[in-house]
Amino acid sequence: MAEVSTMAGRRASRRGAPAPARLVPVSARATVSILLVSAVGAASFLWPLFIAPGSTLDDVATAPLILAALLPLFLVVVLAEISRGGFDVKAIAMLGVLTAVGAVLRPLGAGTAGLETVFFLLILAGRVYGPGFGFVLGATTLLGSALLTGGVGPWLPFQIMASAWVGLGAGLLPRARGKVEVALLVAYGVLAGVLYGITMNFSFWPFIVGLDNQLSYIAGAPVLENLHRFVVYTVTTSLGWDIGRALTNGVAIVLIGPAVLSALRRIARRAAFGQVSAADRASPNHAAAGRGAPDRPAPDRTGDHDYRQ
Amino acid sequence: MSLVELRDVTVTYGDAISGELAATPTLRDVNLGIEEGELVLVIGPTGSGKSTLLGLLGAQVPHFTGGQVDGTVLVDGRDLREHRPRDLSDIVGVVGQNPLAGFVTDTVEEELAYAMEQMGLPPAVMRKRVEETLDLLGIAELRHANLRDLSGGQQQRVAIGSVLTAHPRLLVLDEPTSALDPTGAEDVLAAISRLVHDLGVTVVVAEHRIERVIHLADSIIEVTGDGTVRHDDPARIMADAAIAPPIVHLSRLLGLDPVPLSIRDARRAMRRVPLPAHASVADRGAVLAGPSVTGPRAIEAKGLIVRYGEVTAVSDVSVRFEAGTVSVIMGRNGSGKSSLLWALQGSGVRTSGDVRTGDGTDPADLPPPERRRAVTLVPQSAGDLLYLETVDQECAQSDEESGAAPGTCAALLEQMVPGIDPQTHPRDLSEGQRLALVLAVQLTGEPPVVMLDEPTRGLDYAAKDSLRAEVRRMAAAGQCVIISTHDVEFAAGVADRVLVMAEGEIVADGPRHEILVSSPAFAPQVGKILAPAPWLTVDEVREALDG
Amino acid sequence: MAGVAATHRNLSALHRALGETLPRAVHPGAWWGWALSLAVVASLTTNPLIHLLLIAVLTLVVTARRGDSPFARALRYYVFLGVFVIAVRVVLHVLVGLKFGSVELIRLPTIDLPSWAAGIVLGGTIYLEGLLRAVAEGLRLATIIICVGAANALANPKRLLRAFPAALHDIGTALVVAVSVAPQLAESVVRVMRARRLRGDHRTGLRGLKHIAIPVLHDTLERSIHLAASMDSRGYGRRDASDPRSERVTTALTFAGLILAMLGLYGVFVTVGFSLWSWPLLAAGLALSYAGLRRAGRAVRRTAYRPDPWRAPEWLTLGCGLVAVAAILLTRRLSPEGLILPLEPLGWPALPLLTLAGLLVATVPAFLTPEPRTSRTAPRTREAFV
Repeated sequence: MAEVSTMAGRRASRRGAPAPARLVPVSARATVSILLVSAVGAASFLWPLFIAPGSTLDDVATAPLILAALLPLFLVVVLAEISRGGFDVKAIAMLGVLTAVGAVLRPLGAGTAGLETVFFLLILAGRVYGPGFGFVLGATTLLGSALLTGGVGPWLPFQIMASAWVGLGAGLLPRARGKVEVALLVAYGVLAGVLYGITMNFSFWPFIVGLDNQLSYIAGAPVLENLHRFVVYTVTTSLGWDIGRALTNGVAIVLIGPAVLSALRRIARRAAFGQVSAADRASPNHAAAGRGAPDRPAPDRTGDHDYRQ
Repeated sequence: MSLVELRDVTVTYGDAISGELAATPTLRDVNLGIEEGELVLVIGPTGSGKSTLLGLLGAQVPHFTGGQVDGTVLVDGRDLREHRPRDLSDIVGVVGQNPLAGFVTDTVEEELAYAMEQMGLPPAVMRKRVEETLDLLGIAELRHANLRDLSGGQQQRVAIGSVLTAHPRLLVLDEPTSALDPTGAEDVLAAISRLVHDLGVTVVVAEHRIERVIHLADSIIEVTGDGTVRHDDPARIMADAAIAPPIVHLSRLLGLDPVPLSIRDARRAMRRVPLPAHASVADRGAVLAGPSVTGPRAIEAKGLIVRYGEVTAVSDVSVRFEAGTVSVIMGRNGSGKSSLLWALQGSGVRTSGDVRTGDGTDPADLPPPERRRAVTLVPQSAGDLLYLETVDQECAQSDEESGAAPGTCAALLEQMVPGIDPQTHPRDLSEGQRLALVLAVQLTGEPPVVMLDEPTRGLDYAAKDSLRAEVRRMAAAGQCVIISTHDVEFAAGVADRVLVMAEGEIVADGPRHEILVSSPAFAPQVGKILAPAPWLTVDEVREALDG
Repeated sequence: MAGVAATHRNLSALHRALGETLPRAVHPGAWWGWALSLAVVASLTTNPLIHLLLIAVLTLVVTARRGDSPFARALRYYVFLGVFVIAVRVVLHVLVGLKFGSVELIRLPTIDLPSWAAGIVLGGTIYLEGLLRAVAEGLRLATIIICVGAANALANPKRLLRAFPAALHDIGTALVVAVSVAPQLAESVVRVMRARRLRGDHRTGLRGLKHIAIPVLHDTLERSIHLAASMDSRGYGRRDASDPRSERVTTALTFAGLILAMLGLYGVFVTVGFSLWSWPLLAAGLALSYAGLRRAGRAVRRTAYRPDPWRAPEWLTLGCGLVAVAAILLTRRLSPEGLILPLEPLGWPALPLLTLAGLLVATVPAFLTPEPRTSRTAPRTREAFV
């Protein structure tokens, strides 16, 4: 098999940047559920801005705890919806090994101001393998590294949500190639680094600051006033980290981004992601993969949505 | 009806992007049948389509790899083009070359149960089958062990067990022993032979080192370079197969018919053949002396000790290697071969002792770029040294690193393995080509001392031959070559001097004939067949016959 | 001595009554349920005495029932983190806290920040009451964190993955793969770093990183293909054919559930006081979604080798946690003043008996669950592997 893929690989590399491999196809159903759960996610980050004073959750310890317990339930629903009908086994293996890479990378940067080393890989993989894969990889990377290093805590569901967004966004970036693509990814990496930090700050804000000082949110106060307090909190406590994370992303993407992209694309070609269905389409008269078994769902084809409806 | 039937099968791969099919099929017009309970050996040069043939049997081709299959593949009456690999796990078990890469879980028991979990078998059945499989493969005491902590042979047996628990009727093994040392390979082959003989499992196995398996095979499938396939009796295939083990080459040289396939048969057949003039004991002395091994010092160690924490890897070794010679270090896994090489090169751990190169410097004192130019080492997993996108870039980088004129490395590579496309990704090269690239990269600075750690892993006969030629050429050019290997046939063909290590000490050291002929463990096939005659390789016998 | 022996005898009798005398791991879900219940208890009070007792309960149970995996030693890191949280709270209080109280501790100069910084006043007089409140609040968060840490130490994450719902089988498998591949990755990093020196490369920092990262990444990605092939040929991803109608029911359930749950959540945030309709709505929505999930998971026909059973000890563990929650909820209804640290006027915190009883019940799993299976208690197969 190696000899053939060599050929295929060479030919493709001359042709330039291929289209994203869409390793995890996202059905219309899954898109809706991602949107819904993202709304829940947004609410669980931004609640201090609009919570009614005196509601059950107007408490710095209860609200984060309850949200941390609820958010995973919503995440389970969306992940199950994406994986309904079964992932391609290649996607699972790829998710597994990339999650492991992320989990190994993560402690490397821990402790050093903002040197967050996971995100650049997540961004590049999301870029190459598509938004669905990016979303799931974002979730599994954080969960996997927490399981491996014992870092499960009330903050974990929020991290999972935020990093799933980072991966999803990377998959949705417009097409580009060469230097433009790297520039695009660097810009996204910097932006995602800062936004991730701000998002996580929202979840930590009530938790770590409490209600009893001048940086705390005030339930029922105008959104702008709470935002102002939040900005001051962010600038004084974590902006250094966020900028550090953004710079790490940018520098890492500039330095090894192109090599990593080509490694990810090369393996997509070698493993024939999506090639099976291409061969099917190319040869309608021949018995090829999956044909002759219409009663079976064929998850190794793309677009399971229309296939089964 | 045969268990496996291929009728007019042609396989053509497609391009990953465009989906266009390649102009020439990888396999063409394959017709063959495999009977229940047979052990079939698949042979063929690298890139001939061996893996494709094996992939067809497990339905990986075309479901996993893509490509187009014309014709019919039936296993146990099921048409494989209509079944995906996952739906066949209870009929076909597939085991790859690198067991560790295929493990999903991390303990032996869980790995054995994995296939059964996917099939949805009841827990009681799973428990019973896990126990049976543990006993069958002789790994019961490892049941709770972590898969990473096992030796290569144990891992491969677990990999075989992990598909056996699904009770397949056909077991497909793609080079199961190519990455193993001889002991590990023995264990795996013993397990395979037990499966065939006691359980009646049908086994299809591809193997580079034919000599390891051929005596077990009921028939051989030879995949030729043009994609056609021949399936016949081992003896008949071996009479004229393009690739064959030394024993077959010897038989052909001496005109034995039928071709003997085991050492025992060969020795019996040899009784009828009058051997050339070797027999006189007087000649032996002359052959034994071998080429001269005296030359200027290339590298020398005195009182070398390597310890990792509590473990002593190399204990008090004093050894001297001369320029213009090839020395081979043999010994079990963990006998300290690699540690010795790394310590000599200066990049590895050295607890105490003194190492000097030809000009009296200690390589460990040199900065890495200069050290590389004084003593170079190609490690076991040679691919670790490569990190660029194309062969061309790697070569250019190497020229720059070692201060050589641009094009030096590329020229070296072209000389070793002609015709590699410079735009190829290094990872897409075959094992042999990749090794050649790493060698070229490491030899660019023309180091006086070259060390190779297990270079023959995964190489086929042709690649080994060209490596041997390259090593001899280096020695002729005055370089000192030190090789650590398990491969006795390779050692017999390439070495001037052989050292045997055990428990970190050098326990034997001398000209290759002295060491290899007398050792039961390290004698090559020709040596075993012709003992007490002093020949080790077919080439030597041919020379003696001609001279 | 006689007393100890008698206690031991009684305990064995209880174990037998529960039907569990062999060492085994308690279902990880039970430990998480127990630990999260205690986290809820912690979140419902600011009484530092209760928090300290809770931490004692957690430590007791963890020491008694953790296994010998590396995760079992994780609790101390959560304790460190908890101490850090308390410290942050105190520092924030000193710097920007709203100072109040009557017992003056120290008088710090005040700095008025400009209006773009929300007119914050730094420093000021620190009072004992304010400081105590910051510490108590910090302790509450620390206790919640330690609760999660206890769950981490008690429940082996690998076994937790096995308990994933069938609909999440794929994701769970990816995580299982990650957990087993990660250590191999670390090994290949070490290997490549060694090999780099052979090529005469001794660059460090980000540029050196490339020469290590790229070979390791290639290795890893190629491993994923091997792994996928191996999983595929071992039957991974077999599922039953699904019919479109049942698929549509599943979809309808999941989405109706999601939308109901979202409405419920919205209600919880915007209603003053305890909202009567939001919580049931949220619960009903989630329940519907889960019904959908279960249906979706039915297509995966797969069994578990040596599954973790859910039997009496699991019910007991979970039940003990819930009893503690019930006790504190009851206390809140009957005598809410016992659950807060009295600051104005400053006083010694009370120790509500009902809550205390609940906490005592929460320690029961330390004695009545089966012992964990460790290398000491596992049946021996061969000396060398103990």
